[in-house]
Amino acid sequence: MHSNTTRAAGVPGRRAGHPGCCTRRHFLASGVWNLASLGLVWLLQEEGLLPAAPSRPELKTKSYDLRPKPPEFRPRARAMISLWMQGGPSHLDLFDPKPALAKYKEYPGEVKYDDPAHASRRLLPSPWKFRRCGESGMELSELLPHLGQVADEITLIRSMVTGVNNHGQSIRALQTGAVVPGRPTLGSWLTYGLGSMSQSLPAFVALIDPGQLPVLGVENWSNGWLPSLYQGTVIQPREPRIPNLHPPAHLKGKPQQQALELLGRLNQRHMEQHPGHLDLPARVASYELAARMQLAAHEALDISKESKATLKLYGIDDPATRDFGTRCLIARRLIERGVRFVQVYTQNQFWDHHRGIRKSLPAACRKVDRPSAALVLDLKARGLLDTTVVHWGGEMGRLPVIQYDEGPDRVGRDHNTYGFSMWLAGGGFRGGCVYGATDEFGHKAVENKVTHHDYHATLLHLFGLDHQHLSFERNARKETLTDGKPCRVVKEILA
Amino acid sequence: MNCSCRLLWSVLALLVLLTPAVRGEEAPNKKRLTFEHDIRPILKVHCTHCHGEAGEKEGGLDLRLRWLMVQGGDSGPAIEPGDPEASYLIERIEAGEMPPGDAPRMPKEQVALLRRWIAQGAPTAGPEPKEVGPGPIITEAERQFWAFRPPRRPKPPRVKAAHRVRTPIDAFVLARLEQAGLTFAPDADRRTLIRRLYFDLLGLPPRPEEVKRFVEDPSPQAYRRLVDRLLASPQYGERWARHWLDVAGYADSEGYTNEDPVRPWAWKYRDYVIRSLNQDKPLDQFIVEQLAGDELVQPPYKDLSSREAELLAATGFLRMAPDGTARAPDPPLARNAVISETIKIVSSALLGLTVGCAECHDHKYDPIPQEDYYRLRAIFEPAYDPKHWRTPPQRLISLYTQADREKAQQIEQQAKQLDRKRLQRQKELIQQTLERELAKLPEELREPLRTAYNTPAAKRTKEQKELLKKYPKVGRLTPGSLYLYDRKAADELKKLAEQAKKIRDTKPKEEFVRALTEVPGQVPQTVVFYRGDYRQPRQAVRPGPLRVLLPGDAPNPVPVDDPKLPTTGRRLAYARWLTSGRHPLVARVLVNRVWMHYFGRGIVATPEDFGHLGARPSHPELLDFLADELVRSGWSLKRLHRLIVTSTVYRQQSRISPQAQRIDPDNRLLSHMPLRRLDAEALRDGVLAVSGKLNLEMFGEPVPVMADRVGQFVLGIENLNAGRPGPRIPLHGREYRRSVYVQARRSRPLAVLKAFDYPAMEPNCPRRASSTVSTQALMLMNNEFLINHAHFFAQRVEREAGAEPQDQVKRAWLLAYGREPDAQETAWAVEFLRRQAEVLRGRKAQVRTSDSKVHTITDPKQMALASLCQVLLGSNEFLYVD
Repeated sequence: MHSNTTRAAGVPGRRAGHPGCCTRRHFLASGVWNLASLGLVWLLQEEGLLPAAPSRPELKTKSYDLRPKPPEFRPRARAMISLWMQGGPSHLDLFDPKPALAKYKEYPGEVKYDDPAHASRRLLPSPWKFRRCGESGMELSELLPHLGQVADEITLIRSMVTGVNNHGQSIRALQTGAVVPGRPTLGSWLTYGLGSMSQSLPAFVALIDPGQLPVLGVENWSNGWLPSLYQGTVIQPREPRIPNLHPPAHLKGKPQQQALELLGRLNQRHMEQHPGHLDLPARVASYELAARMQLAAHEALDISKESKATLKLYGIDDPATRDFGTRCLIARRLIERGVRFVQVYTQNQFWDHHRGIRKSLPAACRKVDRPSAALVLDLKARGLLDTTVVHWGGEMGRLPVIQYDEGPDRVGRDHNTYGFSMWLAGGGFRGGCVYGATDEFGHKAVENKVTHHDYHATLLHLFGLDHQHLSFERNARKETLTDGKPCRVVKEILA
Repeated sequence: MNCSCRLLWSVLALLVLLTPAVRGEEAPNKKRLTFEHDIRPILKVHCTHCHGEAGEKEGGLDLRLRWLMVQGGDSGPAIEPGDPEASYLIERIEAGEMPPGDAPRMPKEQVALLRRWIAQGAPTAGPEPKEVGPGPIITEAERQFWAFRPPRRPKPPRVKAAHRVRTPIDAFVLARLEQAGLTFAPDADRRTLIRRLYFDLLGLPPRPEEVKRFVEDPSPQAYRRLVDRLLASPQYGERWARHWLDVAGYADSEGYTNEDPVRPWAWKYRDYVIRSLNQDKPLDQFIVEQLAGDELVQPPYKDLSSREAELLAATGFLRMAPDGTARAPDPPLARNAVISETIKIVSSALLGLTVGCAECHDHKYDPIPQEDYYRLRAIFEPAYDPKHWRTPPQRLISLYTQADREKAQQIEQQAKQLDRKRLQRQKELIQQTLERELAKLPEELREPLRTAYNTPAAKRTKEQKELLKKYPKVGRLTPGSLYLYDRKAADELKKLAEQAKKIRDTKPKEEFVRALTEVPGQVPQTVVFYRGDYRQPRQAVRPGPLRVLLPGDAPNPVPVDDPKLPTTGRRLAYARWLTSGRHPLVARVLVNRVWMHYFGRGIVATPEDFGHLGARPSHPELLDFLADELVRSGWSLKRLHRLIVTSTVYRQQSRISPQAQRIDPDNRLLSHMPLRRLDAEALRDGVLAVSGKLNLEMFGEPVPVMADRVGQFVLGIENLNAGRPGPRIPLHGREYRRSVYVQARRSRPLAVLKAFDYPAMEPNCPRRASSTVSTQALMLMNNEFLINHAHFFAQRVEREAGAEPQDQVKRAWLLAYGREPDAQETAWAVEFLRRQAEVLRGRKAQVRTSDSKVHTITDPKQMALASLCQVLLGSNEFLYVD
């Protein structure tokens, strides 16, 4: 489905050609699951697995790969970890204090409800206190004590807007730049534009929760119409951690090793009976290479050699934070090994607190606050924060008014995509910075609005890419992450 | 509009270096150069686009002929024969001024060639036409290119090893071998032959009993009988249909847009192909039906007989290109894409030419002027009329009969009654809910809100609108949001809707065919698009074939509008001309592709391109012989198969002799049978067959593909809730059907097929890759499909061979390889089973079975046997056909 690629001057062009399907190179570059084909192509050539170059240039295809590509201009960021808070964390209770909620009884203007049946106009003052944190004095909720400790490292945007009031569409806006389905996600764009620095790990990794997948499921790491090479590779919490790379649990270790030994013997014999057929040794070598790739991934996912202090920092000693902490730590290990983009997902509707917010919101914070802050601290300690963007946020915030006005234990908040918060750290974002503001009640962004397009343009900018130049041509149209929509690089939040 | 074409030029320019004229191998310095052979190809790439083609004469200069160059343009003569230094053309090129702008420079070697030609006096090969129109020029030299001359039946050559000649094919191949000092490898043994034949003809491995029967058959006719039996097998049609479906670009989805919507009836075309091949429908008829089946049916395509339905289904061939016109954001562009992709499919499938290159400009290497592209396009435009476009749903043709229609109407009446009942009830429930909500509000608000709510939206006053906005619980109460207020009420309505649906479901099932048809009387005028841009129409053209394929004096076989037919008759006439038996390319292209499927490479190694940039035939006479033979045999594909598989060439061993290794390492001369990796479908089907699970049900709707939890494409019925996968819905054994029946959705290639080079249809795939990469190894080691089927394979082995490890090993070998293990292999395998059971003790294997339940296996011996079976399925002996 993909056609050609054009990139503007300054960005290295790719080989252009007619769309085609049937050449060897193309297939090298389009494995089903996409473990660092850079490693593959490169190693295969090194090892002489490939036949000699074709006798004429291939007219009918262009090749895509994960080789590192220089950005268009000097980048600040080289990698990104996105902590994807699906469901819509309540900015009013976490990031955006609004004393007015306690001052008045009702919201004076028009409220954009998602669920009219349980709507009300009564304001819900935050049950939690806000405190000033760090030297910057950033106001954050008491529900996020650990984040408070890294306040001076983060940029807090309080004026996010997508303007589409349901989960699926707003997720698409933030993950793919438009509300329609089928487009590539941010991680796909980054790996398409920049390749990967790792030769033995996937370029774009999706670390999913042991629970249900977040809303939109696998769309969250889809390559859309970019070549499937740029699809996110899922690392599961259980064996097989990387499907198709790792064996199912019962074959792990010795059984698979013994099986490969027998296979090696049979293939060796077959090869001796068929001398001169070059495909046969190539296939034997491909098995050996596969085993090496397994090893590399195994090493990256193995946290047992991390220090006690590190494990504690991420809360891996605590049942409440163990899962999310482990995934944050793995994200760091992956980035260290050259992975370009990692997204860590909360489970389905983890932050969608329509009712009972008094209980459910603290529980959610308890699970992610410590590991999220730990990630920032740890990256900083290792000197990686300067070049690694950390993103924390979901697809929406919540309304200032009560949903389910049925007593204090039942109250909750409905969706709000007209003004909400998220934070970013590292990779060129300014520390201790609060940007933008919502109205007095926290319903709508009114000052320095940041749309999903602005957010994407800013991110690409930090990676040394111009959002109008990084493009993919398809159906005679130049497609970009920001979809040709008016937007800007938000320079004010850059260091 | 075809930007890819423009971007290609830099690559193309390099390629000129590789054309014979410039490669130097035929042109040592002293060789006399000619304009036609040596110079024109260079100018075509770099210059004539602006100087001569399509009426373009920048600076008044036309470079299409030598005398035009001498005559020159606004700045005087372009060349001074005999004096390159005085030639303005050379000056401008060497100054880097031409070609202008960003266009790629002319390589030095080519400039040198130009200089030499001018120094030699700028000779031509023959006299040049004195007058030229604005159109392109097809020279006699160009017409003499091998692929454009009609095939002539050559006589099989004499060979030394005459005893090895079983068919004329052998003589052609052997003669070349003997010239090179080589000969055929010995005949392969029967075990090897039966496995080879099974995979080649059926795409499946032979069962051990079939191997035994064939190996032990004392009759000299055994081989021939086996071939006949396989050609008569229904699985033959499935195997060879898949090859044709690659060429046709078969897909069960529309492609083009992000959604890649499913094509619900594409499979009728797939079934048509399978049936046609099983019947050995003559290929000329097969082609005519696919290009013009609709023109053989009387419109208005209603109450169709099964033969008529078949003819319409055949035109599905022309409906395989991506078609996003139902939802594309830029409809004219999307329409244009459907037509140009269709032409790509037709031309690569039947002509073996890259005709698409001439959409924007004259073909740079082959004598295909841009105008010829539009002549070809004009053949299809009455059906693909950009001005009266029909979207994919609008093109479907119902297979309902009059009786079906009446029955359906009756049932619809009943369902409508229920609809009315439901709407009535919905009103009541909404009113009840409204009253409940009103009751929660102060008394004085109730009446105004009630009135506002019950006033139609368009008639509400400003105050009413604001009131409703202020009280969203009332204002936003709708049938759609009712479930949020009253789940029970919503469920009641849902039930009523379901009842109506149930009644509707009793209608006779309405099936459709995806056909290409014309609207009688609607005849569009086709025009040339300047630079391929549909927004820049130029001169009108008549429908007709490529002129280089039409002998100079032959009349155009394609009418503008055939008065004898309700349709224009353009496609019908074109198809008949293609299959007249005198067309230089069609039969060659067809037999070449068949050859490729047997020997891994065509006689022309580029089956999609017989033009100048394509490969030259390795055995030109053999190609012509086969092409002629196909026509003479009444276009019987099965006869062609028989001819090939009974030859000595095909029956050779794969053993490479030391001489062959030295003289012909690429085996272009076929001194032995190549070792071929199973293609994606044969691999998956082979695993299914060996594991005993293969479901041979034929035809019908495809087996659906869905994304699993990690985004990998697997077989399954999509069951999503806001994108999250729900429980698996059982496929009841459909997951074990052959791969040709797996849904071919462009955006969702089945993982296990894709890993083994299953093609993306963009728009079709005239030649597949056969790659060897680690992802395949990883699939074979770890993929759920392989693991599950290794368990099924093991269960089968246990069932058929009992519990004794020796017997199990023997059976497993027979099933996977068609042979018994030798003593060494048996010893290894038995020892493996023992050691594997040891380390698997205490572990648990999870196997997903056909009812989509997961079964847990704890017996270490069973797990060990499954592990052995998996090793066999991943081994080279299984993956390659010897």
